[in-house]
Amino acid sequence: MKGRVLVVDDDTALAEMIGIVLRSEGFEPVFCADGDDALAVFRASAPDLVLLDLMLPGKDGTEVCRLIRAESGVPIVMLTAKTDTVDIVLGLESGADDYISKPFKPKELIARVRVRLRRSDDPAPEHLAIGDLTIDVTGHRVTRDGVPISLTPLEFDLLVALARKPWQVFTREVLLERVWGYRHAADTRLVNVHVQRLRSKIEADPERPEIVVTVRGVGYKAGVTPQ
Amino acid sequence: MSAKLAARARRAWRLIRVRLARRPRAFARSWRSSLQVRVIATTLAIGLVTLAVLGVYLSDRMRNGLFTQRVDQVLEESARGTQQAQATFDSSTATTSTEVQQLINDVVLALRAGGSGDREVFMLRAPGQAMPVLVTPMASDASLYSLISKDLRAQTQKGPGQRWQSAAWPVATSTVSGSETVEPAIVVGQTVTVPVAGTYELYFLYSLQSEQDRLAFLQRMLAIAGAALVALLGTMTWVVTRQVVRPVRIAAEVAERLADGHLEERMPVRGQDELATLGRSFNEMAESLQEQIIRMEQLGALQRRFVSDVSHELRTPLTTIRMAGEVLHASRGDFEPAIKRSAELLLMQLDRFEDLLVDLLEISRFDAGAAVLDAEGRDVRDAVSAVVEQAVPLAERKGSWLSVALPEKRCQADIDPRRVERILRNLLVNAIEHAEGTTVEVTLAADAEAVAVTVRDTGVGMTIEESEHVFDRFWRADPARARTTGGSGLGLAISLEDARLHGGWLEVWSRPAQGACFRLTLPRRAGIRLTGSPLPLEPARPPDVETPVRRTGVDPAALPDLEPDVDLDHQDVR
Repeated sequence: MKGRVLVVDDDTALAEMIGIVLRSEGFEPVFCADGDDALAVFRASAPDLVLLDLMLPGKDGTEVCRLIRAESGVPIVMLTAKTDTVDIVLGLESGADDYISKPFKPKELIARVRVRLRRSDDPAPEHLAIGDLTIDVTGHRVTRDGVPISLTPLEFDLLVALARKPWQVFTREVLLERVWGYRHAADTRLVNVHVQRLRSKIEADPERPEIVVTVRGVGYKAGVTPQ
Repeated sequence: MSAKLAARARRAWRLIRVRLARRPRAFARSWRSSLQVRVIATTLAIGLVTLAVLGVYLSDRMRNGLFTQRVDQVLEESARGTQQAQATFDSSTATTSTEVQQLINDVVLALRAGGSGDREVFMLRAPGQAMPVLVTPMASDASLYSLISKDLRAQTQKGPGQRWQSAAWPVATSTVSGSETVEPAIVVGQTVTVPVAGTYELYFLYSLQSEQDRLAFLQRMLAIAGAALVALLGTMTWVVTRQVVRPVRIAAEVAERLADGHLEERMPVRGQDELATLGRSFNEMAESLQEQIIRMEQLGALQRRFVSDVSHELRTPLTTIRMAGEVLHASRGDFEPAIKRSAELLLMQLDRFEDLLVDLLEISRFDAGAAVLDAEGRDVRDAVSAVVEQAVPLAERKGSWLSVALPEKRCQADIDPRRVERILRNLLVNAIEHAEGTTVEVTLAADAEAVAVTVRDTGVGMTIEESEHVFDRFWRADPARARTTGGSGLGLAISLEDARLHGGWLEVWSRPAQGACFRLTLPRRAGIRLTGSPLPLEPARPPDVETPVRRTGVDPAALPDLEPDVDLDHQDVR
């Protein structure tokens, strides 16, 4: 069993088709066609990942996204028919980790799902330091002075990617590849939005970041770690 | 002190001269540009000419009238004086020359006092008489003898009857300085017979100064009246034209504002006159114009919304179909040949359908004005390299060489890499498709203001007429030609919009059998207004007409190291 995926989509044909594709790849799909029921189904099924359509009857996708994010760090991938910047950014800001624009290919969908469901495969304990934070990679914990900070898996991955090579400046494209699994031609807004979200959780002053530092015109790098 | 004054005067004079020199030009300008100036100037000119003619005529008539009247009076008076003198002479008993002399003197002095106004009296002896008594001529003012011309004397001597002539009477105005003025005057002559002494000529000199003064006064009055009339005329014209021109001027201003897109602009309407009618009609016109424009805008917005909505609505079912197609395609090995081929065709056409939908959405976003430039400072060389790399597999399949010329220096520009790469990809794919196996040249150049990329092929090319339509939506150079790589027919239209969004240009040059050259010019910084391009659009040298080297197969040595054709099939999942 590779994992349970909650598909929240009001288009039953599409949901069924997604179910067929997911099942053929060994995932276990759970369906929900209404925004109002989504949270209940989410709680009942405890999925490993949520595929969420943005246009839903009842509560709309961004609202559902916010509700799920409020109680869980489970990966959320939006399905969107709109490629307009505002909608995507709105979805990402409400807590989604990634998005796929309709129409998508089955392989694309599976690839996204897999990237979000991957877990660090090396069981060797690994501890990293970035800024004044300590990261327990295997334990999936981030602490500042012993106080744990709650991050979603994606934010955690982003932070770990930066912390593993503190001497390197990461372009948005490289981060997209490392964290989101894109190989080419992707949306760098994903990186911007998630860096902002990550900063709001870990930085003492998100306006003047010291842990995830912007390198103008290039990308991001880890801040200086005090020895 | 005086030098300073002179310098100041010189400066002032220079200023006046410059002003004067400038005035005709300024006047000519306002003559052309202002109806009011033209009307006023014309009216004044006509008025002045009329008044001048009238004035000349009137003053002439007045002078004649005054003169004739005076002459009549003078003649009558002098005739009376002559009669009087003759009577005196006739009744005289003088016999000696002394007595005669005395008589003449008395008569002259008496005559002088008897006229209206100033008159001088002269008595001259007519020549050619042999008379025993010789009396010296007598004059009330002996200095004025010269005023009696020989001509007049000759006329007078001819016989009885009055003769007259105009004369100029020098009058001393100031006894001290000896200055004189000349007054108009008339000399009237007649003969009288003096006892013993024979025939004498009696002359009266009358001044016309009072008539002259009256005439001058009348002329002055006339001139003042004329000037007042001209001023009145000018003012009236100014007021009238102002009343007419002002609303016209306002109408012009309002029309201009309307043309600038301020559709709410209206003319103020007052009263019921013709100008109010103009204003009302104008406003009605603006009203209906505004309505039509708004209706058109709404219609356009509706259409764009429709295109956008349709594209959106199509996406969900298309996703389902696409996934179903992929699933069928994945297991096509189990099908019999006809169904297998059907699954393949289904998927292939789905790709095309999807491309079309994506392009349609993109263009609808441009039409709706929703396209946003996500610009950042980038090296354009990177964009060119990336696009060229992606195009290499296609070039390989088509047997075309790609020749890329990049400058050594960094070509930094504010671009939206996604859009610029899309433009370049479109141009390059187009060029490769139409190159027919010839080399496709990609050239990048930059100057201080702009960055330009040309994509040149030496393939079939197009006629000038065709190249004008290249950026039209769904336009095909040759409708009959088989489409090999597909494409929505919107690619270049989208590219053009992308270029415009950057404030840049996308242009084409093409000739049949000489290939085509597309040039993208982008400003290096947002806000720079392009004035030129660092690269020429037309190729400088004529293209080689010799048969180009056609490659039959792929020559790996000639190609740069390639990344594998990136597709999601190869996507690594970690």
